[in-house]
Amino acid sequence: MGTNEKSKDLSTDQANGFPEKITKKDLHRAWFRWWYVNEIPHNYETMIAPSFLWAMMPILKKLYKKAEDLKEAYKRHLLFFNTQCIWGGGTILGITISLEEERAKAIAEGRKEEAVTPEVINNTKVGLMGPLAGIGDAIDSGTVQYILIALALPWAQAGNPLGALIPWVAFVTITYLYGFYFVRAGYSLGRAAVAEIVSGKRIRSIIDGLSVLGTFMMGVLAASYVNVSTPLKWTISGKEFVLQQILDKILPGMLPLLVVMSVYLYFSRKGLKIIQVLMWLIVIFAVLGFIGIL
Amino acid sequence: MDQQITLSAGQAALIALWVAIVEARALGYSTLMLRFTPMMTGLIVGIVLHNIPTAMTVTAAIQLIYMGLIAPGGTMPSEPAVATAIAVPVAILAKLSPEAAIAVAVPIGLLGSYLYTFRFFINTFVVRLANKFADQLNERGITFSIVVLPIIVSLVIFFPTIFIALYKGTPLIAALVKTVSAGKVFHMLSVIGGGLPALGIALTLTVIGKRKFVVFFLLSYFMTVILKPLNVNTVTYAVLGGIIAYLYVMLASPQQVEE
Repeated sequence: MGTNEKSKDLSTDQANGFPEKITKKDLHRAWFRWWYVNEIPHNYETMIAPSFLWAMMPILKKLYKKAEDLKEAYKRHLLFFNTQCIWGGGTILGITISLEEERAKAIAEGRKEEAVTPEVINNTKVGLMGPLAGIGDAIDSGTVQYILIALALPWAQAGNPLGALIPWVAFVTITYLYGFYFVRAGYSLGRAAVAEIVSGKRIRSIIDGLSVLGTFMMGVLAASYVNVSTPLKWTISGKEFVLQQILDKILPGMLPLLVVMSVYLYFSRKGLKIIQVLMWLIVIFAVLGFIGIL
Repeated sequence: MDQQITLSAGQAALIALWVAIVEARALGYSTLMLRFTPMMTGLIVGIVLHNIPTAMTVTAAIQLIYMGLIAPGGTMPSEPAVATAIAVPVAILAKLSPEAAIAVAVPIGLLGSYLYTFRFFINTFVVRLANKFADQLNERGITFSIVVLPIIVSLVIFFPTIFIALYKGTPLIAALVKTVSAGKVFHMLSVIGGGLPALGIALTLTVIGKRKFVVFFLLSYFMTVILKPLNVNTVTYAVLGGIIAYLYVMLASPQQVEE
């Protein structure tokens, strides 16, 4: 150990060289590369596996000093992989780096039989990518993003550019920071991070809290921005009946709520058939608008 | 002189370039919000057309129909950035109301999602090159096939389509919408625009997933309906929502909060 390798070439001198130490800087570099390349090579065959390889490349080069080992490592990260960038990507990146480091050490010390196998590395990635993507999509895309958008929307409505800039800058900054936290947590905890994140009660509380807040904010948005009202009115024996006024006396905000809850129930029962619902809403509203009911 | 009713080639090119970069995902994970929400694209359009206030107001209206839009399973049903890049210039040039702008945005957003699907498809072939370069341990080749080529593919798909739509299509779309603005069709478009935000909100409720939380939706919904005359702003509601969320977590599992 202790050899100071300045050359980056895979020359024969280093053919049996030990893996270099992985520093916090390396972790950050891998994280930045993953954060950047994320969905650039998104494709139907391997989804975002190429992104994972591209993020891992500098680390793998530091770990595997033999050309064959390095080639093998490159190729195993080109298999199918798909997850959410921050929760899934961050955590899995950290864990995978720790697993690759273990494997590289074992190989360099001539204990190849005891090394973490490529199957274990791949199974860990594949096992984690789904649940963490679910958490990440709901929290980052579904909740954090739209809380920020909703907060800034009144500025945008008033014509202020900060209504667009602030949520974007805030979202990028926040997710980048906790994403890197997941990388480090994943790295230091190795495979134990799985239990910590998927079943950890603290995480569960945070998700619950965010879900309550997200749901609450949607109610505010529904009441403020869904506009469904009827212009219908009759004159019966000289007295005018305005339907919307009658509805407001029974239950204020009844019509918008009816629309939101109908769509929600449809999604809950039939899955997220967004395009169908969009088409149906357009047709139904157009027809009702045309015949003068709405 | 009349108001300007077409974009210059330079303006169309700038907006098209922005959309192409966003849809290529070439600015990292920051493109998530850029692609999912219309806000920043609306701001860019406002800057390019020298009318930020109108652009922001119209974009805010468009945002409401996309509120809660995420990409279940990888692809989205609509591309808000594409929709905004076309609908906001049309709205500014033809002096449309925000509701009418929504009606322009919806079909264009749907068409945009086909372009994104096409990008997925082409990437499938491009990225296969990475296997060959990995065999040769050719790092530059790997970077080329994983980062550079897919970005070029997206630019080639999105830039010309958006540019042509803006440069040649805007006056057409604007004229078409203007002839329609007075009559029954306009009323229909407004009704659609008024009701569609329900879609995004229902989508978010579904994605958050837990049925038992819908009670919090009802709570804030009626609270907001009742308090409408008081003009309570969103931040105040967020503070109230945060307190309610905290109370919920504390009551559900007290030890988690005390830590």
